Amino acid sequence: MATAILSTPRIAPVRRPQLESALAERAGVISELDDIDELVRLHRARIRRFVTCSTGDPDLAETITQDTLLRAYKGRAGFLGDCSLSTWLTGIAINITRDHLRSGRYKFWKQLKATAADVHEMASFLPSEAVSPERRMLAKERIRELYAVLEGLSYNQRTIFLMKFSEEMSVDEISEILGMAVNTVRTHLHRALKAVRSKLGAKI
Amino acid sequence: MTPESTRHLSEEALDDVLIGLGSPESHSHLEVCAECRAQVKMFLGDVALFNAASMEWSRNRLPQAGASQPRRVRMHAAFAGWAITAAAVLVLALGVLHQRPETAPTQANTVQPQPVNSEAQIAQDNQLLQAVNAAIGQDEASPIEEYKISESPHPYPKAHSKKRMK
Repeated sequence: MATAILSTPRIAPVRRPQLESALAERAGVISELDDIDELVRLHRARIRRFVTCSTGDPDLAETITQDTLLRAYKGRAGFLGDCSLSTWLTGIAINITRDHLRSGRYKFWKQLKATAADVHEMASFLPSEAVSPERRMLAKERIRELYAVLEGLSYNQRTIFLMKFSEEMSVDEISEILGMAVNTVRTHLHRALKAVRSKLGAKI
Repeated sequence: MTPESTRHLSEEALDDVLIGLGSPESHSHLEVCAECRAQVKMFLGDVALFNAASMEWSRNRLPQAGASQPRRVRMHAAFAGWAITAAAVLVLALGVLHQRPETAPTQANTVQPQPVNSEAQIAQDNQLLQAVNAAIGQDEASPIEEYKISESPHPYPKAHSKKRMK
């Protein structure tokens, strides 16, 4: 028996650091998905911010954020780790928002609750550490102007702009989530940036 | 001939840099052109301010009372809304029945009907509208119920689902 064991050729274990790292990362994300409280704590504000800026409706954003987290939690077993958890959640939020936009409910809700006013107060939430006191007023004005430009964009342009510059996704990721050609995403971004430039003039 | 370093990036080239698709030539230009670099920095600075403020706003935004309550509470609120509406309709119906004369209508009261815009009628209408408005406000069904979300096999983004099918 001992001889047999000794005679067995020893095969060095194949180490694949990248694969192991990816698996470990995925395991971490899945455990994060298993804890609904942690999921909400880490991602709720970010999703709410994204949907609010995308739709302009904080109440709708709150509902969509809750739906997104609930769907993610229920479907957590299917998360393959082929993108970041943030990207995956944003994709779910976008699909739910699209469903709302397709149905008439969105317009109905917009008529019922004109709560966009407090969205315009976002500028006043600028953290004190983000800018010096001397530049604070100017910074707030810039934020208001940028938000006003975003409001004037089409839904696709605004959403893609936010995915790129707020969610920090790559053009390829945006293309995949939206099921849109890379060139189409690029065109939307160019138009959005052109609008920003034309509205903010020489400031950018 | 204008030197390469002083010919500024076109708007399209600058935008490509901003969206992460800048060409090597554009990046080389940015290294030597302070003006174009300043434009990139200015835009990214404004976006960073916007992101910081909007994230802080989102963190500080309290969830709406109706949205954060447990479903059972929301169901009770919806039921209360409909009960108020039903009660208002019942009161109106009783009021109409009470005002109706027991005898057959005469020529006089058919010729001179009660004005539609009387104060009493307006008050009743307003009461009914307020009850309906209250009921609608409390009875916004959550899309969770409307979608009938369950342990369904397709809870993922559509684009991702396609990719997994490959």
